[in-house]
Amino acid sequence: MRRFFLILLALLFISSCAGEKEPTLKVSMSLSDEEWDVIKTEVLPPFEKANNCKAEEVQIEAGDLPQLLRATIAAGKSEIDVFAQDNMQLSVLVDEGLVEDLSAYRNILPKQSEKSLIQAGEFNGKLYFLPYRPNVQIVYYNVDAFKKYDLSPPKNWDELLHVAKTFKEKEKVGRILLKAWGNGPTVTQLYELIVSAGGDPFSFNDEGCVKTFEFLQELWPFTSPDSLKAKWNTSNDYIARESVYLMQNWPFGINIIVEEYEKKNIATYHGFAGPKREAHVIGGEVLGVPKGAKNKDLALKFIKYLQSKEVQQILMEKLSWPSMRTDVYGEVSGWRKPYYKSVMEALEYGVFRKNVPYWADFDRFINEAFQRIVIKGEDVRSTLDHYAGEMKKIVKE
Amino acid sequence: MLKSKHYWKIFFLAPLLLYLTIFTLIPISRSIFLSFQQKSGGLTFSNYAWLFSNFQFREAFVNTISITILALALELLLAFSIALFITGGGKKRILQALILIPLGIPTIVVASNMRYIFDTDGFLNQILTRLHLIEIPINWLSGGALTLFSVVIADMWKVTPLMMLILLAGLERIPKELFEAARIDGSSFWQELRFIILPLMKPFMTMALIIRGIDTFRIFELPLALAGESFKVLSEFAFFEYRNYNNPYTAAASGTLLFVMILVSVLIYIRVSGAQKETA
Repeated sequence: MRRFFLILLALLFISSCAGEKEPTLKVSMSLSDEEWDVIKTEVLPPFEKANNCKAEEVQIEAGDLPQLLRATIAAGKSEIDVFAQDNMQLSVLVDEGLVEDLSAYRNILPKQSEKSLIQAGEFNGKLYFLPYRPNVQIVYYNVDAFKKYDLSPPKNWDELLHVAKTFKEKEKVGRILLKAWGNGPTVTQLYELIVSAGGDPFSFNDEGCVKTFEFLQELWPFTSPDSLKAKWNTSNDYIARESVYLMQNWPFGINIIVEEYEKKNIATYHGFAGPKREAHVIGGEVLGVPKGAKNKDLALKFIKYLQSKEVQQILMEKLSWPSMRTDVYGEVSGWRKPYYKSVMEALEYGVFRKNVPYWADFDRFINEAFQRIVIKGEDVRSTLDHYAGEMKKIVKE
Repeated sequence: MLKSKHYWKIFFLAPLLLYLTIFTLIPISRSIFLSFQQKSGGLTFSNYAWLFSNFQFREAFVNTISITILALALELLLAFSIALFITGGGKKRILQALILIPLGIPTIVVASNMRYIFDTDGFLNQILTRLHLIEIPINWLSGGALTLFSVVIADMWKVTPLMMLILLAGLERIPKELFEAARIDGSSFWQELRFIILPLMKPFMTMALIIRGIDTFRIFELPLALAGESFKVLSEFAFFEYRNYNNPYTAAASGTLLFVMILVSVLIYIRVSGAQKETA
């Protein structure tokens, strides 16, 4: 018996000495369930095998990441090694010193990267974030509904208003979906429309802004009542259940609407132009490394891996995510091809939102302006003048 | 010098008091203190002034009070009626078990399911359309009185069973001899209700209203999932102030106001119901 325990003890000792424990790379992203499925099954396993490590995924919403990093960095316990973050929520991370300066690692960027996407990760001449996936909204529409009333997908605001009025008149309920939920979805939509009208969204009361809000006030009575609950995830349900016939949303909806819901009668196109031009906000995510990350080298390897042609192709095929690489676009085939064509065309009209430190105040003011003018019907000019004044005070501070 | 039995009382109470201090008293105190601060430092009432000047806060304030008053009144009425029906036991107990089912369903699931009923193309509109009661679908969830009604119905479905349990416990404590004596004197059901049941049920109704009132004031995920931002309540407002606009000061101020509203409502109710007991 004594010999048995001695042998057991010896074996335990040997096994504890035999080789180092594999490192764990903690990856934070904000994804839907469908998106996580692809990341967990097709993207992470090859990286884990090639680098003899374990990748632990964490779901953290874009709005929660700054708070989490503040708390963990202050406690000296960085719990995330690499994160993917909305490209519009980067300023606070840089301003508060929550992320590593990656300027010394420009060499890991593939030569085939879209140049404009690299600039989105630069602040004050330093590179803090590396490109990962750009994103742009496209317009989804119900082909059968448009055919039924002899309508064509609108190419400009006048045609959009005509389509909205026609559907309302024929079906007694609005069938055009605006993203009126509030916060990010509404802001992105307004930003695009204002730029399309030749305005500067941060001015609030230039002619482009006034035209945009006047148009939305006119359009609102003919839009779907579901608009008040429409954001990036709920919008797909509305068009799939055919309670709306036209909406704008991110390309990930293609997989849900066409593949999961099997709605083959939903087509897409790049979108409609405003009085001055067509403009679509380039959203998407970039990759960063938190200050004091435990596995910084492994994190950089992971970033390089995500930017590789193989992974970018998986993300494009499985999730309909536009790629950050110029050499991936031609590889789409099959039923996805026409949908991806819409994404490529929309990207040609792409505009970046300005990364400003007072984005949260701008978000609040433009949402309130939308509520007051479009939903409650208040006077356009006086309301916009009020928020123009408020914005000027914030910018001066 | 304390007797040894007092040391044991302190010993057993200490963990709870410590827990309440660390996880309740300190966070609440810090939040109240934060509500009087601003980014530039110093103490100020400006957060509160800003709240009352903000139209979305005023709407959320009115919505929260409206939901609380309407939901409590309807839940009390419904829960009391069900409890009266079930009391006495027998086969009615099966109904009690069925009525308790909604309590076990997470609120977010209830909200998601209610959207299938109240959405523009939801079941309710479809039924009303097929019955030719409406031609155009009703916007139940676009804000206003209709959304208030929808949120209250959804809340009632979920939490009336809890109120019913409390009232049922009260009803079953009423001595049967009182009813026998009343019937000998020829009393009707309504007289029994007015002179026996309601007076003796007062403590239980107070408890039910306070427990549910606190919960209803704090309502959060149900209106958010059901109606989005078209129908904000105070807790949502506080949440979005912190999460979306990175403003812990106004978030703390709206949270503090909510806390004060609940405290004042409970104290007023206890005082009023206590005064009525004295005059009786």
